[in-house]
Amino acid sequence: MIHGGNVNAPDEELAVHYAREFYGRRQESHRLWVVPRDAIVELDDPDLLNPPFDRSFKRPGGYLIKHKLEAARARAGTDAESADASEGTGK
Amino acid sequence: MDTTREALAELLLAMADDEFVLGFWDSEWTGIAPMLEEDVAMSSVSQDEIGHAKAWYELLAGLTDDDADEIAFGREPAGYRHAALMNHARTDWAFTVARRFLYEHADATRLESLARSSYTPIAELAAKMRREETYHLLHFDLWLRRLADAGGEARDRLAAALERIWPDAQAVFAPLDGEARLVSAGILPDDLETLRHRWLDRVVPILEGLRLPVPPEAERAAPPAGDGRTRRNDDFAWLHGEFTMVARSDEGATW
Repeated sequence: MIHGGNVNAPDEELAVHYAREFYGRRQESHRLWVVPRDAIVELDDPDLLNPPFDRSFKRPGGYLIKHKLEAARARAGTDAESADASEGTGK
Repeated sequence: MDTTREALAELLLAMADDEFVLGFWDSEWTGIAPMLEEDVAMSSVSQDEIGHAKAWYELLAGLTDDDADEIAFGREPAGYRHAALMNHARTDWAFTVARRFLYEHADATRLESLARSSYTPIAELAAKMRREETYHLLHFDLWLRRLADAGGEARDRLAAALERIWPDAQAVFAPLDGEARLVSAGILPDDLETLRHRWLDRVVPILEGLRLPVPPEAERAAPPAGDGRTRRNDDFAWLHGEFTMVARSDEGATW
């Protein structure tokens, strides 16, 4: 689920119609969730979202697993042909 | 001469012109609808109608070995076959809502029947269009209810518009020359008078529920006049000049 955007409407019924026009008429959506603004609970505390220490290790992007995979395959005796497809960051 | 073919062409032209002319009228709301969101919605719905017109014109063009653009833009005003309901200018928002409400239900009634047509290309197109028209119905039912419930000027204008266009709305079901042939071939599964009554059974209870004007029983019982798809007015003559302007500016151009 991603935030599609905002609509202004006097009530839920029209909000759904307009959401469909703004975020669904080009076949870009499979489903729409429309909620009134005051139903949104917000979390914006920087200490909770962007802690002061380096937490980059919690992101999968920094790992190079190619060699680990090769070693694991060698141990398991698996064919390495499909190794290229697994190369990368684990995203 | 293949007269069933001619009757089929007559039916396709009538439906295509309904969607085409209404699509053009209501596209005039782009930029000036009651609010920004409705501006986008109305423009989008109008585009849908032009798209449906295109589909009918292309089916017709394949049948008559003609060109869809030429059929759409190459005729004089007298050659168009839309129902008299579509003659009128956009007018105000209440008029637009009144017309759309009556038309969307008429179109839905027609498509529901045509989805069972023995002529497969029509049945398939009708089934696809019905899926898009569901939203049109919801949208204009909603607006009708809102303007009626709002009272005051909104309600007065809506009621006046309905009074004015009832006779022309019935013309959506005006008899076609080749109708009997289409019905006996199963191309048109129900005759237009049956469809008109089915349409009345849909719209009259909604209007009565909102205490909006409906024509007297006697008027509803009488079939629409035979000129329902041929009578024209100055509004349409003007619109025709507008929507053919670009095509006429460079005839035969590839766009």
